[in-house]
Amino acid sequence: MIQEPKRLKLSFQSLSPYLSREPVTLALLTGLTIVLFLAVGGLSRLYHAQQASLAVRWAGRGVNDLNADRYKVAITEFRTALLYDRDNGAYQLSLAEALLGLKRTDEAYAYLINLWSRQPENGVVNLELARIAVSKKETERALRFYNNAIYATWPGDQETERRKARLELIDYLLRNDARTQAESELIALEANVGEDAAQQEQLGGLFLRVGDNGRALTAFRASLKLERKNPAAEAGAGAAEFAMGQYAEAEHYLEEAVAAAPADAASAALLKTVRAAIDMDPYRPQISEGQRDKIVMDALATAGARLEMCQANPTVSAPAGKKPAAGSPSTAWQQLSSQWWAMKPQVTEKTLRDNPDLFNSAMNLAFEIEREADGRCGAATDADQALLLVAGQHQDN
Amino acid sequence: MAPASSAVPEVELGAASASGATSVLHTLFREDSFFLVLSVFIGIFSGLAVVCFRFAIDWSRIYLLGSGAELNPMRLFLAPTLTGLAIAVLVIHFFPRVRGSGVNQTKAALYIYNGYIPLRTAVGKFITSALAIGSGQSLGPEDPSLQIGASLASALGRRLHLKRDHMRLLAPVGAAAGLAAAFNAPISAVLFVIEEVIGRWTAGILGSVVLSAVSSVVVMRLFLGSEPLFRIPPVELRRPSELIAYGILGVAGGLASVVFASGVATLRPLCRKLPNWTQYAQPAVAGLLIGIIAVLGAPQVMGAGYEYIDEAMHGQFTWQFLGILALLKIVATMLSFVSGTPGGMFAPTLFIGAMLGAAVGGAEHALLPHLAWSPGTYALVGMGVLFAGFLRAPMTSVFMVLEVSGNYSIILPVIVANTIAYVISQALVPVPIFDVLSRQDGLELPSMEEQREESILRVEDAMRPPAKLVLDAGDTLERAARLVSQEPRDEGQGGDVLLVRLRSGGWSSVTREELDTMAAEGKDKGKGGQTLESILAGAGAIPYLHPDHPLEMALRYVDRWPLVPVVNRANLRKLEGVISQRDVLERYRDFGGE
Repeated sequence: MIQEPKRLKLSFQSLSPYLSREPVTLALLTGLTIVLFLAVGGLSRLYHAQQASLAVRWAGRGVNDLNADRYKVAITEFRTALLYDRDNGAYQLSLAEALLGLKRTDEAYAYLINLWSRQPENGVVNLELARIAVSKKETERALRFYNNAIYATWPGDQETERRKARLELIDYLLRNDARTQAESELIALEANVGEDAAQQEQLGGLFLRVGDNGRALTAFRASLKLERKNPAAEAGAGAAEFAMGQYAEAEHYLEEAVAAAPADAASAALLKTVRAAIDMDPYRPQISEGQRDKIVMDALATAGARLEMCQANPTVSAPAGKKPAAGSPSTAWQQLSSQWWAMKPQVTEKTLRDNPDLFNSAMNLAFEIEREADGRCGAATDADQALLLVAGQHQDN
Repeated sequence: MAPASSAVPEVELGAASASGATSVLHTLFREDSFFLVLSVFIGIFSGLAVVCFRFAIDWSRIYLLGSGAELNPMRLFLAPTLTGLAIAVLVIHFFPRVRGSGVNQTKAALYIYNGYIPLRTAVGKFITSALAIGSGQSLGPEDPSLQIGASLASALGRRLHLKRDHMRLLAPVGAAAGLAAAFNAPISAVLFVIEEVIGRWTAGILGSVVLSAVSSVVVMRLFLGSEPLFRIPPVELRRPSELIAYGILGVAGGLASVVFASGVATLRPLCRKLPNWTQYAQPAVAGLLIGIIAVLGAPQVMGAGYEYIDEAMHGQFTWQFLGILALLKIVATMLSFVSGTPGGMFAPTLFIGAMLGAAVGGAEHALLPHLAWSPGTYALVGMGVLFAGFLRAPMTSVFMVLEVSGNYSIILPVIVANTIAYVISQALVPVPIFDVLSRQDGLELPSMEEQREESILRVEDAMRPPAKLVLDAGDTLERAARLVSQEPRDEGQGGDVLLVRLRSGGWSSVTREELDTMAAEGKDKGKGGQTLESILAGAGAIPYLHPDHPLEMALRYVDRWPLVPVVNRANLRKLEGVISQRDVLERYRDFGGE
């Protein structure tokens, strides 16, 4: 019982060497560490504030110069900004844009690809990389970056930026004659185009370029529904109707377009063609028999003139599908010619009225001559073109 | 009784817990363990110092050269020149020990001054290096950081009155912390300090060095962020045949290292021989010449140049300009370093390597367009190449590239190119640059490269074939005497000694005279006579060696035992040879002659 306190005392005595020096040292070192951390923390705040301020200042100058197309100065300024904020993606992107402005594509690419490795979801970066790939004619990479851009994250209005990226891709595909891919992208785009006349009009124009006239017409109509007076949409709708052989509707839209925009020469020319096609069409309803007979006789005369021109031209090749007689390449033309000469005297107002079958025979011969001559006998007259359009419209007749 | 009986366990418990606490404290505060704890504090203090050093360099740069990337030509001339004058005054009058890079000073502390580096050195190094690098001298912050770390550690050790062994080790521990924080690469820093400063691997040193390096990097990242020094672009080796291209880079890097090292080694003593008053002017003249290079179109050579390494890695320069930059940086760094301006060689070495690497890669690509080409990869490998060729730290050079890039796919090009550069550099400049510098300073520090290359003598190089007669422990004295009498006497040292193979697997020995004496005492009489084992029971076993043991190890035994058996590691009873003191000494004598 008496020895127990002694044992305790002994234990504490054995601890005392440790308690006297090292713990004090440790405590002092810890205290010193805290003090130094606070001091360096203060310095660090000063340092970082200065770095940030310098970065912002130089980047601001860079943005001004970039907007003013002073690319060389902008490059130096963005580089300086990056000295103080090395990993700032916005500065790197702006620097890349300035470099692209000076056509220093490789340097810009280096920055962009570095940004892309850190932010593969960045829409701007993907789009810029796609443009660089386009300029380098690297189709596969271009398509990959365009697709990335379409599904990437964008600052501001995401939908608009994505739509713009897709439109750029479509334009690129059309320039590369990849119509099928372009059409599938357009169909995807169609779902994202809202109640906006300009967008619908743009969509219609692109559908027209890929040859999807039905969707083009739908888009132009949607645009006109939203904005009744839109000459461009009217012209587009007219062109779509024309491409589908619906000349009466095409005439309606084109008349509106030309009336609203008389300077639109393309629409005016197309309107003229449409009108000629309508005028040369003997099958159209609500015309008198006299008018119809006159059209047939005019058509036959037009075809005859065409035939004569083809025979006169020595470079003319024999009509396709017609086996020329041995030793004479122009025999096919001669056959058509003899048919025409045989038909010509038969076709009068009287015979047409007496023999309704003659109407079809005459028109079919005129169509056949125009089809065979198409593209083989030099430039066609407006009347020839109109007759050809009518031929296309009434192929089954 | 009840309280008493309950009191006893309490006291016992108290005593037990006190004893446990004593044990814990004893473990914690035993100097070895305390040294580890101290290493963490050294790392923290060094990390904080390096953070402040970085701030100081950047502030110097902003206030001396301006904040823009495109610098004012007047400032380009004046800043390095006038700051050079100020640095010379500071170095000559206040901080004479801060000249040079700091690596050799740390080695000197370890090998000569018992770990002593004055705190004044850290202060001086901090101020003068920050001014020099900030004003555009072509020097880097890593070696000064290393010395600042070592100096802080040394000061702390002195304050805590550590024993001499630990005091010596504190300098490298602090050096690793400083270098790790400056490089943001703890593995490379640890390897460099082990490879170039300490020169040996032991668990105790490694633990302290690693702890300090890691804690300093943690502190540095806390204040400066965890981004690596360079933004590494995607790097890859596409085809094994590309190794040839990297081999060419190794050759170019080796030759550049030779030029760089020879230039420094030749010019430095020449500058020192100039009249004393020129010491004031030398840093200023170096600064002026560097300013001229900058004004003429290569401001990239000023300062550490990390931002330009980064740009080179990302293909921002043509290969021709990269080649020019590598050349100009060699010139600029030589000027700065030989003028005695305090500052490090690491960053310039990396700069030269990166520029040279990207230039060689670009040239190869221009000649062979089908060659897969990425400036980032070549610049990275180039950095390692110069590190191996100029600083002659081959292992660190490989790990540095891997650590900085975080990409192990380029390990093959790095190893191939570094090895070639190292071999070329070693062949053309036999003495590594750090050793050259220390010898020029009148210090004979151990050369780590010589230590690595040194061939070690082993027991097998000195041992003799075993004697024909080996006695067995089961032999009777009579049989042993008979066998010995039939065997001719060996006149060599230890010739009288006979080895006895013990049944336990060990070995013992007995001399002819001892056998004769025992026979005279009649120990061979009786039923069958006594066996050697029973006679030698009191003598015990003698030590044995293996053929691959260092010959030094034999020295521990040969003066006490005239003949030491050398036995097979797989079969301890199989005698491979014997070794005596004379064998060892003769081998050492012959080795000295070789």
